[in-house]
Amino acid sequence: MSDHLEQDFVKQLRENQNIIHKICRLYTSGEDAHKDLFQEITIQLWKAYPKFRGDAKFSTWAYRVALNTAITLYRKSTRSVATTEYDSSRHFIRQEDYNYEEEEQIKLMYQAVYQLNDIEKALVFMYLEDKDYAEISETLGISEVNARVKMNRIKTKLKKILNP
Amino acid sequence: MDELDLLKKDWKRNENSFNQVTDKEIYAMIHKKSSSIVKWILIISVLEAILWTVLGTLPVADDYLEKSHPEYALPFECFTYFNYAVILVFIYLFYRNYVRISTTASTRQLMDDIIRTRKTVNYYVWYNLAMIMLSFVFGLVLAFLTKPEIDQLRQKANEDGATLAVLIFLMILFVAIVGCLSWLFYRLVYGIFLRKLLSNYKELKKIDL
Repeated sequence: MSDHLEQDFVKQLRENQNIIHKICRLYTSGEDAHKDLFQEITIQLWKAYPKFRGDAKFSTWAYRVALNTAITLYRKSTRSVATTEYDSSRHFIRQEDYNYEEEEQIKLMYQAVYQLNDIEKALVFMYLEDKDYAEISETLGISEVNARVKMNRIKTKLKKILNP
Repeated sequence: MDELDLLKKDWKRNENSFNQVTDKEIYAMIHKKSSSIVKWILIISVLEAILWTVLGTLPVADDYLEKSHPEYALPFECFTYFNYAVILVFIYLFYRNYVRISTTASTRQLMDDIIRTRKTVNYYVWYNLAMIMLSFVFGLVLAFLTKPEIDQLRQKANEDGATLAVLIFLMILFVAIVGCLSWLFYRLVYGIFLRKLLSNYKELKKIDL
């Protein structure tokens, strides 16, 4: 019975692991920290798994547990220092139409996002993931209007970081 | 905003660029121990509860009281039972709060639940600390009034107000030192485990102001 549960879980997690990787990319810098947070999120997902019901999508459910782990349960500070370098060692796939200027701008954007606090990163993360404000507000436990207001403020803040 | 959309484009493009973990690695991970703050809070809370329960129920003055002043024994016994009741209520509250913590709740809810669980333990610790100081003061006063060994001191205190004042001052000083030390200790524990959580909690609450 529990073996069966374990098999199911491992399969679902393997298929949806990019969700966790993406959160780790945003909340950690360096490979070790990435792995460490990935592991803690996996443990928390596994702990919560017996209560997971099939009526929700695994990915939707995993988003919430993973974000909660990064923001709330994970003891080590996930806030990267302001000087965090854009980690070029990661295996980013480069397209044929390599655009130097665009690449530079993306690099700067990542650096700016790394300077945000945990909560702001969560909003940016869900924005990048095309989540609507209803889901953002439900996940974080804030009102939809305020989620919108905050997102606009973050955009302004990012602009300021980019053009001081 | 152009930049954020540019970032989104890159984000999506690199969605599948991560080194994939294998089934075997996932199996290994789920059998490792969590290092989450909830686990640490549980460990610390249980240790605290045991420590303060033991300290709070130490039968310091029982025997002496029963032999020499049976008239004080009954209230003392009532107090002991009251203390046991408080422990039971505390265990129930702590357990209820602890099981309520769920990673599938919203972030705000999760933080609320963790902070509430932690607060329960804090109240318990403060209760025990207050009781210990109270019984300490009570014991001192009782000893001062009844013990034959300190007759001299008593007489002196009766005669001149300065000695009495010094005695009272020492008592207050002691209580203050114990209070300060406990406060410092809690700042430290809070600092280690809850600094990040509390600052994120503040951040989240600011959004909803």
